[in-house]
Amino acid sequence: MSGEAGQGGAITPLALHGVGKRFGRLAVLRAVDLEVVAGEIVGLVGANGSGKTTLLSIVAGLLPQSEGERCFGGRPSPTVEMEHRRRLAFVTHTTQLYGGLTARENLKLFAELRCAADAPWIDGGPLLERLGLSHAADRMVGTFSRGMMQRLALARALAGRPELLLLDEPFTSLDRPGRRLLAEVLAEERARGLAVLLSSHDTDAIIEVTDRVVLLEGGRLIDAAALESDDPERLRYRAAVQGLGLFSARSPGPSASSTAAVSA
Amino acid sequence: MPQPPAATTSLRSLARQTWLLARNDLRQEMRDFELVATAGFFTLVVLVMFGLSFSTLGRYAQPMAVPGILWLAVAFVGSLTLTRIFDREREADTLRALLAAPVHRLAIYLAKAGVTLAVLLGCCAILVPGLVLMFDAAAPFAERPLATFSLVFLGCAAYATIGTLFAAGLSTSGGKNVLLSVILYPLTSPALMFALVSTRTLLDGHPGFEGYLSQLVALDILQLVVSAWLFESVLVGTAGGSSRRKRSAGRRT
Repeated sequence: MSGEAGQGGAITPLALHGVGKRFGRLAVLRAVDLEVVAGEIVGLVGANGSGKTTLLSIVAGLLPQSEGERCFGGRPSPTVEMEHRRRLAFVTHTTQLYGGLTARENLKLFAELRCAADAPWIDGGPLLERLGLSHAADRMVGTFSRGMMQRLALARALAGRPELLLLDEPFTSLDRPGRRLLAEVLAEERARGLAVLLSSHDTDAIIEVTDRVVLLEGGRLIDAAALESDDPERLRYRAAVQGLGLFSARSPGPSASSTAAVSA
Repeated sequence: MPQPPAATTSLRSLARQTWLLARNDLRQEMRDFELVATAGFFTLVVLVMFGLSFSTLGRYAQPMAVPGILWLAVAFVGSLTLTRIFDREREADTLRALLAAPVHRLAIYLAKAGVTLAVLLGCCAILVPGLVLMFDAAAPFAERPLATFSLVFLGCAAYATIGTLFAAGLSTSGGKNVLLSVILYPLTSPALMFALVSTRTLLDGHPGFEGYLSQLVALDILQLVVSAWLFESVLVGTAGGSSRRKRSAGRRT
């Protein structure tokens, strides 16, 4: 694991400073500051249109930010270069798998694309087994259920041994055992030092797997713990944040003031 | 042991990724024959229709008709191929997975252009012998196979290099395929004109054939460099467009 130490001495695979995104006149993200340290799972919650997918796409290099700075391993990265893309993996709710290839071929293709020419191919067998897909390893992905595709997309992401994993709605279409499996895999990867930034509407799942939650509203990261609202959706987010006992866009851990605000 | 320079490693990695992506496309194509079957049958139909229409032309008119038939068929098959070349990526959104992975953008372009070129050459493998069989004036194709192959290769490459760039842009930005044709034909016209004139000089036994071929090589190189230079901005810009499109469809979170 590489990267510079962030606050508290932890390695910071990702840091965003004042990141904003505009589509023409429409500001989708405004001055977002966020850090994710190694071995930390950060949940990103917010209503539809709050900018979660846009934020993840900017981190993944699929969209350029309009303003602000994006740092990987402590180094500013105006564009997401090959070296940074080698260190991160992005799993979206569309799964992005080739339906005309088998599960093993999908894994192998992306593993080979990641590897240097002389590196041995990463064996997909153990990963498929770990995600409960070994029985379907040689089946065409086009015949998979949505949940199986979601698990395969996660396997593909983990095959590259990333330092930063981006998950956009990872619980979509997963049944209860699938969710449990995902939570277990994320916990194991966190122990290995993986940093995870995941977005979800599923507040129960967020509470289950994340270390802290940040709330995006109207393109801004806001202090969900201090939300004053009668809106049930916002109250759910506040509950999720309070369930974890903190809100902080900066790592590591809750700030004293945030915790105090929650307690109050 | 001395390490190779970074540029060499990068070039090797680019070549390897290009091969992996092209092989991936060809592997899927060999399973469903979607593109090959469509392009192949279309080529056959075009060949038979043109053959029936023009086979009675006199010996002086044939050398003028054959180049037109050849490159018009390539233009039709090319636009058909280019509208479908990014279909697999569009349907499953895998282009975004490739863009987020440590894959050279140029490798994506080269692989797609390579597959397009392979399909066009495959169609020419039907077209050229078919023309030789149907038209006496096409006999130089059989008499000078190396020159014919060079001509067909360079003409198809010119079409594929510029066409792939716009196919990528329009497919990922949600542009309608009709737009591809509207943009594609004017932009590929220089390549088709060069190829057509070169073919006429080949059939006429004109001594300037090699000169025309050299100009086609220069056009290929120019289009390849410009397309490779523009591809990343087209692709990343339109990937953003793709995500905007999804948001407007209510899928944004």
